[in-house]
Amino acid sequence: MCGIVGYVGEGPVGSIVHSGLENLDYRGYDSAGIALVDRGSDDLAITKREGEVSGLDVPSVSSATCGIGHTRWSTHGPPTDTNAHPHTGMTGEVAVVHNGIVENYATLKDELIADGHEFTSDTDTEVVPHLLEQRLEAGHDLQSALESVVDELEGSYAIAAVEAGSDRIVATRHESPLVVGHGDGTAFLASDVTAFLEHTRDVTYLQDGDVVVLEDGTVTITQDRDPVDRPIETVDWDADAAEKGGYDHYMLKEIHEQPTALRQALSGRVNLDDGTADLNLEFPPGFLESLEEIQLIACGTSYYAAQYAAGLLESVADVRASAQLASEYTFNGGRDPWRTLTVAVTQSGETADTLSALRRASGAGVRTLAVTNTLGSTVTREADDSLFIRAGPEIGVAATKTFASQVTTLALLSLFIGRERGTLSAADARSALADLRGLPGAVQQVLDEADTVREAAETYVDASAYFFVGRTYGYPVALEGALKLKEIAYDHAEGFAAGELKHGPLALVTDETPVLAVLTEGTRPAETLNNVAEAQTRGSPAIGIVDGTVETNALDVSFEVPSLGTATPLVANVYLQLFAYYIADLQDRPIDKPRNLAKSVTVE
Amino acid sequence: MSEETVPAVVLAAGEGRRLDPLTNRRPKPMVPVANRPILDYVVSALAGAGIDRIVLVVGYRQERIRNYFGDGDDWNVDIEYVVQDTQLGTAHAVLQAEAVVDGPFLVLNGDRIVDPSLVSQVRDAVATDADRPVLSVTRSAHASDYGVVSIEGDRVTEITEKPTAPARSELINAGVYGFSNDIFDAIRETPTEKGELAITTTLETILADRPASAVREHDTWLDVSYLWDLLSVNAAILGDDKFETTQESALEGAVATDTAIGTDVSLGANATVGGSTALGDNVTIQPNAVVSNAVVFPDAVIESGAVVRDAIVASNARIGANTTIAGGTSTVVVDGEVHEDVDFGGAIGDNATLGGGVTVDPGTVLGDDAVVDAGAHVTGRIEPDAVVRRG
Repeated sequence: MCGIVGYVGEGPVGSIVHSGLENLDYRGYDSAGIALVDRGSDDLAITKREGEVSGLDVPSVSSATCGIGHTRWSTHGPPTDTNAHPHTGMTGEVAVVHNGIVENYATLKDELIADGHEFTSDTDTEVVPHLLEQRLEAGHDLQSALESVVDELEGSYAIAAVEAGSDRIVATRHESPLVVGHGDGTAFLASDVTAFLEHTRDVTYLQDGDVVVLEDGTVTITQDRDPVDRPIETVDWDADAAEKGGYDHYMLKEIHEQPTALRQALSGRVNLDDGTADLNLEFPPGFLESLEEIQLIACGTSYYAAQYAAGLLESVADVRASAQLASEYTFNGGRDPWRTLTVAVTQSGETADTLSALRRASGAGVRTLAVTNTLGSTVTREADDSLFIRAGPEIGVAATKTFASQVTTLALLSLFIGRERGTLSAADARSALADLRGLPGAVQQVLDEADTVREAAETYVDASAYFFVGRTYGYPVALEGALKLKEIAYDHAEGFAAGELKHGPLALVTDETPVLAVLTEGTRPAETLNNVAEAQTRGSPAIGIVDGTVETNALDVSFEVPSLGTATPLVANVYLQLFAYYIADLQDRPIDKPRNLAKSVTVE
Repeated sequence: MSEETVPAVVLAAGEGRRLDPLTNRRPKPMVPVANRPILDYVVSALAGAGIDRIVLVVGYRQERIRNYFGDGDDWNVDIEYVVQDTQLGTAHAVLQAEAVVDGPFLVLNGDRIVDPSLVSQVRDAVATDADRPVLSVTRSAHASDYGVVSIEGDRVTEITEKPTAPARSELINAGVYGFSNDIFDAIRETPTEKGELAITTTLETILADRPASAVREHDTWLDVSYLWDLLSVNAAILGDDKFETTQESALEGAVATDTAIGTDVSLGANATVGGSTALGDNVTIQPNAVVSNAVVFPDAVIESGAVVRDAIVASNARIGANTTIAGGTSTVVVDGEVHEDVDFGGAIGDNATLGGGVTVDPGTVLGDDAVVDAGAHVTGRIEPDAVVRRG
């Protein structure tokens, strides 16, 4: 999972490709490269190197007409200059960038070596330019060469290729994202719209097997060598939203964007008159009423959002609900696929583990629903229905606002299903909806306290580990709080169900391990407080997020949130986000690009 | 020098204590008027005048400003930020921009609504004659509250900040300046007064030997000095076709035309939204409530049967059922100054909660996060976080 970019048209091609890569470097930042087609030369101009895009030079060419670029997150071969994309073959006539994995590359490579091809990198990608050269020598043009090559490839890929002396980019995708942008006499290609949002918002989402040719500002798409018409859609994301806008880090910007993101998630969906959520979801008659189980499948932060939602679904929709790690998911026995709904929760809509779990569910005959932030993403095409969280682009690798928007959207879904199933009264739904409408203001209230969180972080930044505890809805929030700290501060952090502390983890507790506890409505705070006391007895400092539900005088630090029913822990989570941010910032961590991580993991 | 290259430095680092409690959580430039922060009017006026590069000097609660403006794409301008860590006066704020401006530039206050035509006049004046500072002047009946200027022909010869003696004229400094780089040296030579470096003090010295070009402002003077000014400026903007105000939510019910309605506003049955009212995003007005001549910030909730007149309700505040903010005139004390007969029903701070059936006297200022029990009667200034019991 990497980011690829392409541009055809007038203007400074090299710097347009370079800035596109910078916008994509959340997808990978261990090496980067650019290939430009120079009108005045028979050779491609290529620069590539280990390291982030910001350190990459644009090839110096007098009059480039088109170019491709790549930012890498290593899967096959360590991040080195030679393993960086674009890759070329023997002649250097074609250059290729690739996102995904060519699973049968070893076989292909052996065949090519037997044919006399020499390889310079350890990557799976390098087979592609060699294969393309074979086809070009046999008389194919670049498009038919690529069509012929992909017939031999197994795995997941988005590939873009350029050829010396030809003003065009040819690209294709299979199970890896690729989107085309339409400018005025120009055309863009990228793994994600954020790459070119500052140039155009008119986009076409390619489908698996599509081959696209970008030339002279025109875009031609074929599928199985026949032309196809794909719609041009307008992205309503704000270009500004994908820029840092004066903040030191995207993560801090995105934390502060949560009130706006939450208003968008709720916008037009809260129906106080009927006491339900208007989600524009159509299920077959009787389907929701007859449901026996709802499975939520997700990874990472989305998994914790799913866990939160599973609790909500069981309580308001009176249906068995569980969150399952997508990478562990199978449709096991004892279930009726016709009476199961599987909900795939993925911010990017491209998470490979979640997509493959979704396919297993579909394969078993289950009806599926995607909950995602990304219009046109793979998950929206593969699931029967889609529900958008409307958080706007999230660039920081550590998910923040999308967690809030996921939980909020899933809470709306639970109310909708509860109302449809007749298990939730209009009055109870109204009260829950009013709580959800209170979220943006409550989150703003927490953001206003950022300075006090920073002070607490200064006090505890030298701790040897951090333990997060909570019960009920406080449990997924504790897990998410620990994940944030791990991801960006590189400190040891664990989240536990508060009751589990005494069943083992208590052995880790010392006076250098602060315990952070969620002690609000919806978390059985009185019981959790006992567990916090167990840790405090062993010398551990206690930090609590409280809403006045229980007396919490013994805490070393307490952060207040307003009570919003079962949505309160979601507000509490904002303190944990800020805490993780400041702990990391005080240690000068590269917060938006934590080591070894990338956003939207598109490999399994 | 082409017009486009004149950048603008906007001073938005200050807190604006006179608008307490609204400024406890946001800087004064981010206080909303007709659902847009005051600073949005300034940035829009600059963009409207063709200025394409804006430097925002930020400090107090700067994340509110960065969040809203980003890098300026929505206004088609490039916005940069410089930070004034401690608020040591307007001249000190201007000094923070020294590294990022070169050649003539404009300076504006981020907390005062300006007209694009005034901006372009000052810009043209400083671009034509960069050696001479440019001052905008306007007329005010309360001149001695501001910087009073003396004019000879089209030159400003003298400025006196908030004179104690009766003002020599009704002409005041309208707060849009044109400067060249030598202003920075002049600021450094300015003595501090009470630890603050004011740009008007620097100007007093400069004007003595180098009169400034005067640019006259003819438009209405829209200044929010005190809480009640927010109501009159809000009303003026809602009633003026020159400003675009939007109704983002389709509301069924009695809603006056001179209103601004944010997105996802919920209006209950038989609720009434009277004239000169702005309702921010995600505001809830429950059945039978009456809101009139009011500025309601985002996420606030006004419960059934409540009456909110001539009042400000800040973000996420909750006005309980049948609570009455009756409106009308009152005498209000701000920082020891007595203001008599102001039209001001009261201000409710951010996140404050009023129970059912509370009576709010005209002129009441309730601090943020305060809690008022059902049936209580509140009056005067109530501190943030206070709990008011029914007595």
